[in-house]
Formats: sequence, structure tokens, C-alpha cells
Amino acid sequence: MPGEKIITFRIRRFDPEADSAPHWESYAVSVFEGMTVLEALHKIKAEQAPTLAWRSSCRMGVCGSCGMFVNQLPQLACQTQVLHLKADVISIEPLPNYPNVKDLVPDLQPLFEKHTQVKPFIIRLDDIQEMEHPAGEFLQTPEEREAFSQFTYCIKCGLCLAACPTVATDPHFLGPQALTQAYRYSADNRDDGVYNRLDSVDAFHGAYQCHMAGACSHACPKGVDPAFAIQLLKRTLVLDHFGFGKKEAQTAAVLPLADVVKALEEFAPPPRTVK
Amino acid sequence: MKNNQPARRLGLRGWVYAGKYSFERYLYLGHRLSGLGLVAYMVLHIVETANRMRGEQAWAELMALFASPPFKVIEYLLFALAVFHAMNGIRLFLVELAFFSGKPQEPVYPYKSSVLKHRPLTYVVMILAGLLMALGGSSLFFP
Amino acid sequence: MRETRFWSLHILVVPLILILLGAHFAIMHYAPIFYAMSVEKAREFATMIERGKSVGQFVIYILLLAAGLYHGLYGTRGILRELPLPATLAKWVDVGMVIFGVTIFALGVYVTWWTFSFDWGG
Repeated sequence: MPGEKIITFRIRRFDPEADSAPHWESYAVSVFEGMTVLEALHKIKAEQAPTLAWRSSCRMGVCGSCGMFVNQLPQLACQTQVLHLKADVISIEPLPNYPNVKDLVPDLQPLFEKHTQVKPFIIRLDDIQEMEHPAGEFLQTPEEREAFSQFTYCIKCGLCLAACPTVATDPHFLGPQALTQAYRYSADNRDDGVYNRLDSVDAFHGAYQCHMAGACSHACPKGVDPAFAIQLLKRTLVLDHFGFGKKEAQTAAVLPLADVVKALEEFAPPPRTVK
Repeated sequence: MKNNQPARRLGLRGWVYAGKYSFERYLYLGHRLSGLGLVAYMVLHIVETANRMRGEQAWAELMALFASPPFKVIEYLLFALAVFHAMNGIRLFLVELAFFSGKPQEPVYPYKSSVLKHRPLTYVVMILAGLLMALGGSSLFFP
Repeated sequence: MRETRFWSLHILVVPLILILLGAHFAIMHYAPIFYAMSVEKAREFATMIERGKSVGQFVIYILLLAAGLYHGLYGTRGILRELPLPATLAKWVDVGMVIFGVTIFALGVYVTWWTFSFDWGG
């Protein structure tokens, strides 16, 4: 194939059942233009190291499974093209700041535990529900949606926690992913606001352990910009503390269920385009 | 098997270096170190200036010591630390309250994070810090 | 306890520190630039006492002492608490920092008051 090049992959191998300590192995792979790190790993596994373990699924930057530490940056293996790294030797390690299950597989359990701590769902004190026991439909303008839309793109790949310097020492810090989701739901006008999440985000291990190193936003493969969400969260918390928080009137109005049904009944289906 | 999994938390090394990130991550480190230096100095300074209570003679001796060249250099280093911490602190004050960072927007590749959006501010405060350090140094060493 | 209470104070004293510390630098270290007094003169015992006896100076020092110590020690406490400490030690970092801060503040206030009420005759 034109433009083909031999690249050496240095991979940190560790099998907890056989090894007492991790070690590095090198594999030379013929790489072509457009080939991703994930494809190279498949090639290594097929041709040279059948026991090599990693986790991946969608191979298109959506599932967030294949996060690994490639050439000194946490990246998704499926979104990183080998030749774009512009290096003849490429090192691959499992994500730092996570327990290492085997080879390149990190244990993302801490990420999910922190995510649940910030109550990542719509909370309303008026007890009106939209999904489980619907009583109406929450209204939202495009502008209201835009206020948090960017932060909904999180795929929970965990790269931001691997990049965060605070997570490097503090196992209790909620971390960029969870705090971003805390802001994402608090800023949603269908939610009653940050008030419901104070226990987790307004504690020592919450928002203020972020010191704006910006590494999480650098690492984020989806442009979610966790660092920005955390600063917005801090601003929200401070405003709320001084009595300028979200007012009741600012939460989304509810369209009664009967009106929703009526609107649906009145809504004519589009004309058929095929017979 | 779970117990055999190395935690791989980077620890203090992770504060210093954890990968090829942009220079803002080192401003974080610098802010931290300069802050610790300034706190240590502030406490020493409060204790040291309490020496005045021991009378005029003791005070004059202390001031003579501080006028010697090695202390001039230390004094300048402290000034430089304070200037860096203050200028970077102005940036953090603004950015940590979400100013100068734009508005949330749909992520479209190539992504432009808030760190990049406020980078002009970062350059301005760093240039100001450099100027103040140069000015302070010239007036201290060449009065 | 809501951390916002502590953090917002930590960040809201920043402008105060910038102004007061700026003034402190101008008076003590850059006296020649700001009001044509040599640094040696600015640091003389008599000059210091005279300065310390003005109400403005007294207020500046107490405020700077409080703001600087709070900002600095809150920051230090944050750094220490980010280390993986056992829970009891983390608690002692908080308590120790408060005790230390209050002690140093008390010393600073005492010295400032001593200067303010200094009597050359006595």
C-alpha cells in the first residue's frame, strides 16, 4: 500500500494472574495512511501478541471504551490515527489514575461511582414527572437548551480523570466528568437547579478542588470542555450562595398532559411519499 | 484478583507532569508552588517584623542583614513569586467565575475549549508579569 | 458545611489583597519610585514607628493581615487536603490550620497595635 511505514509500538503489558509487575513489549507494525491506533492493536493481536487485552466496541468515538494513554496523552484509540502522531515509536499505556485490570484495560468503576454521586438526572421538587408517571410535558426553548447542550455530549470515556492533576492524588475528588454532569443537569431549565446537588458538589471534594489546569478540556475527545462546565458550576454555586440563584419561576413550565394529547391528535401526519 | 490491580494513581508526580498538555497546566503548578512559597514567607515576615518589639538596636541589626546582597536576591525572588502569583491570580479570579471563556456551544470539530478561548487573557497577564518583574528588578538592583 | 462559603471568601479577598499588597510593596520596597524616599530610610525604626502610628496604616495592616492569612492558609489547606490523607489526619489539617492562622493573626495584630500605641517617651 502506498505511504506504508513501519512503526514501533511500545505497549505496557500486565497480567495480574501471571506477572508480579508490569513490563514493556515492543511490536513493529506496518502502518498505512488513515490507520487508527485501535486498528494497529488489532493487527498486533492477530499477528504478534494473541494475549494482548484492551477494551473497545464501536470503533467510531461514541462508546467511550477504548481510552488509553497514547504517546503521553489520554486519547481514544479509535479516533487517533497512527501517522498523525508523527512519531516512529508510539507508547501505549492504560489510562493513569485508574486501577489496571489487565494490559490496556482500566477499571472505570471510580468514574461511574462519582457520576452517580451528583444525581445525573432531572430533579423537580413539584413532583411532576415527564417520563415515569407523566403529568405533562416540560417546555424548553432552543436558547434554554443551548445553555447546557455542549455538556450532554459526554461519552464517559474517563479521559478527563486521567488528565486531572487533582485526581492524581485525591481519590475522593468528584472529578471533571461528574462535575460537568452536575452542571449539565443544574443548568437544565427542567431541573430545579444546583440546590439538589449541594451535598456532593458543594463539599470539599466537589467543585472547588478544580484549579483550572485545563488538562481535562485538552484531553476530552468530544469537545465537552469539562473545565468550562466546572467554572460555570462554581459561578452558579457562588450566585446561589449569595441569593442570586435559580428562582422557582425559572424552572420549565409544564404543558398539561391533556393539552399534549390534544396537540398530538390535532397534528396531521405528513402525506405519504410511497405507495 | 481485585487486590492485585495496581491503582496507578499518579500521585504527586501527577501534579508536576502527567503528559503532553498545554502550558496552562504548568501555570497551575506554578501558582501552587508560588502560593506555598508566599505563605511560608508571609508567616516568616510576620514573625520577623515582630522583632521591632525588641527595640531600635535589634531592628537596625536585622535591617542591616536584609540589606546584604544575598538577601537582596531572595527579596527579588519573593517579589517575582508574588508578581507571578498575582498576575496568574487575576486570570484565575476571572476564569474561575467563568468570565472570558465564551458561552457553551455545540462542539464542532476542531474543538475550541474555554482554555483556548481565554488564552489571550493568559498572554496579557503573563506579559504584565514579565514587565513588572523586569521593572521591580531594575529598581531593586539598579536604584 | 457548604464549601462555597469558604471558597467565595477566598476568591473575593483577591481584589483586596491586590490593592493592599500593592500599597505595602509601594511603601516598603519601592519607596524611591513612589515617594522619593530611599529604601533604607523607609525601613528605619523611626520611619516605621511613625508610619505605624497613622490610623490608615493601622487599618491597612490589619486588613492585609486578615485577608492574606485567610487566602494563603485556605489555599495551603486545600493543597494538603488533596494529598491522600487518612480521615483523622485530614480533620487535623483543618483544625491545625485554624489554630495556626489565629495564632499568627493574633501576633500580627499585637505587633501592629504595639507600633500604633508606641510612646517614644516610655
